[in-house]
Amino acid sequence: MNKARMIAVAAVVASAAAAMGAARADELLVGVEIPLTGPLARVGMGTQEGIRVAADVFNKTNGKHTIKLVTVDDESAPAKAVAAVEKLASQNVVAITGGYGSNNIAPAADAAGKLDLVYVSSGGVDDSLVNGGRKNFFRINNTAGYQKALVGLLGDLNVKSVSIIHSTKEATQGLATAVQKTLGGKGVKIEMHAFDPAITDFKPIINKVKLRDRSEFIVMVGYENDYVGILRAARVLKPSVKGIAGVWSLATPKMAADFPDLMPNVYGTAVLPYPVAFSTPDGKAFADGYRKLYNKEPDYLGQFGYVQSMLLFEAIARAADKGTLKKGGVAEEMRKTDRQTLIGRVQFNANGDNPNFTQRMGQHQGKGVALVWPKESATAKPVYPGVPW
Amino acid sequence: MTELIMQSLYSGLLQGGSYALIALGLALVFGAMKVINLAHGELVLLAAYIGYTVESKLGVNPLLAIPVAVVLVTLASAGIYLLVGRIKTNREINSLTLTYGVGVIITNLALLIWSADVRATSSSWMQEAFVVGPLYSMRSEVLFFGVSVVLIAGLWWWLSRSWYGRAVRAVSSNRDAAKLMGINPGFTELVSFIVAGIMAAFAGVALFSYGVITPSFGGVLTVKAFIITVLAGIGSIPGVLIGAILLGIVEALTVTLASSALQELAGMGLFLLVLFVMPNGLFGAARRRG
Repeated sequence: MNKARMIAVAAVVASAAAAMGAARADELLVGVEIPLTGPLARVGMGTQEGIRVAADVFNKTNGKHTIKLVTVDDESAPAKAVAAVEKLASQNVVAITGGYGSNNIAPAADAAGKLDLVYVSSGGVDDSLVNGGRKNFFRINNTAGYQKALVGLLGDLNVKSVSIIHSTKEATQGLATAVQKTLGGKGVKIEMHAFDPAITDFKPIINKVKLRDRSEFIVMVGYENDYVGILRAARVLKPSVKGIAGVWSLATPKMAADFPDLMPNVYGTAVLPYPVAFSTPDGKAFADGYRKLYNKEPDYLGQFGYVQSMLLFEAIARAADKGTLKKGGVAEEMRKTDRQTLIGRVQFNANGDNPNFTQRMGQHQGKGVALVWPKESATAKPVYPGVPW
Repeated sequence: MTELIMQSLYSGLLQGGSYALIALGLALVFGAMKVINLAHGELVLLAAYIGYTVESKLGVNPLLAIPVAVVLVTLASAGIYLLVGRIKTNREINSLTLTYGVGVIITNLALLIWSADVRATSSSWMQEAFVVGPLYSMRSEVLFFGVSVVLIAGLWWWLSRSWYGRAVRAVSSNRDAAKLMGINPGFTELVSFIVAGIMAAFAGVALFSYGVITPSFGGVLTVKAFIITVLAGIGSIPGVLIGAILLGIVEALTVTLASSALQELAGMGLFLLVLFVMPNGLFGAARRRG
């Protein structure tokens, strides 16, 4: 081999090595701390599905950077959530997405903050999360958005008296109290029924609603298992209310498919109607990616997981381009976020909260979910009065 | 107000029957072997998921899942006994760790097989209202209350009248003396685990028929079953029914007369009060000294 040839071969090898090095540098590790076991496994898995779709879509559309997810199960326990964040930090992740349940998110976000890692979530609506001075914490949804939707629907339906049945968990208690205050301020008669998350028989509560409260409307603030228990008790006792509404996890295709007898005419917060029809390129990319990965229709948990993660990945990419990844650049770029997403416009204020978050109200009609509030987004008129029994 | 309290008492009675059915297997094993099977709730849950699988895959009433659940859950229960039986020292303490581990394994298996989704029966017949005057319940609740009473009576008869039942009591009372009387303690204990498995199978299908299940629910069931077992008094089978009904009624009345947020607290308050006043439980015999 002559000298010129040797130099040429060395140059090729060196450039290939450099290219490989560059590829490695562009592969950015993002931590996913999420409950995959324990009581929050269902919601954690749903959110994780959206996070995976976001990584897939980002990697296909962003030619420069690649996101690699590192997932740790927090077992639905605050102590394990902290341990998960510390484990992810030891694996050199640049930021963390995930979290579910305000009581798990708070210590996990604190741990991430101490390690200078950005933590983004859609699983905690307790306001103390954003009022506690956490500098690296961001969330895309909040109590106020759900409250606006519920109160807005009840106002449009001209409801005069409401029985609010709510779990004593932090987030549900907070939302129920906020709804009580707002509706009470408008002169609506409110009866509150807090219940321990461990209870399974709701008949004594529904009987109080039926015989003592005699309200026009029932509002449920809980989770899927609570809704099923309450609706079953109501189906047995048949209180003479005109309507029944809940919040998250209720106006979903999954609930329509799994509990067809219990869901007709039930209202719940919703982002999109079902069957879902995405019109934006982002929405189509999400829906296609979701169907391809999971062979099913996307649900709201997936949408939230997708949005929070996509915004984070974009912020990471911008910070990487500016060379500020290790200098607090991800948090800085997150604060600059301002764009339309699958859940509406997202911006982050100084506390890391999204002031634009507003939910819509859906109603189970036929085999699908129709949007019935606000009027400008409605796909159908509300069936009112209307209950499942 | 009278109507509210009447409904409360009725709901509490039915809920108590459900609690009793869940607690029966744990009470039997605890009474017979002084082993707290911390995987008992998961066995009940396993039966509930078998009910779900039979209903969703075959499209039949979950009641038809009982024979399948009895076979599979009994095998699982016998498997737990075979593990517990290998413990040579400090069985009462070491079995806690072992059965807790088995419970975690069953929970995660349920998560893998059936996912974390909320499951409940879609049988309209089970969910329809059963109305007696001013009292309302689901048909499935009344049906399984009856099943619970029959099973408790059957178990009580078995323990007091049958040879194996008396052998279980003899081993529970004095393992060495029972051995001298020609009883095989190991086999007798296996029988008690098998019977506990049968009880768990009925309890699980019942739970699926009137409740909501998720993979993480097993631990809650074990705790409730343990409270009732201690409340009843170790070894008292009729006490399980009475203790469970008492707990159900106290919880329901708390919801009606105070707040539903205090329901679980009231149950625990009753538990502590009974233990404070009657340390052997409501129907437990005082331990002999020496």
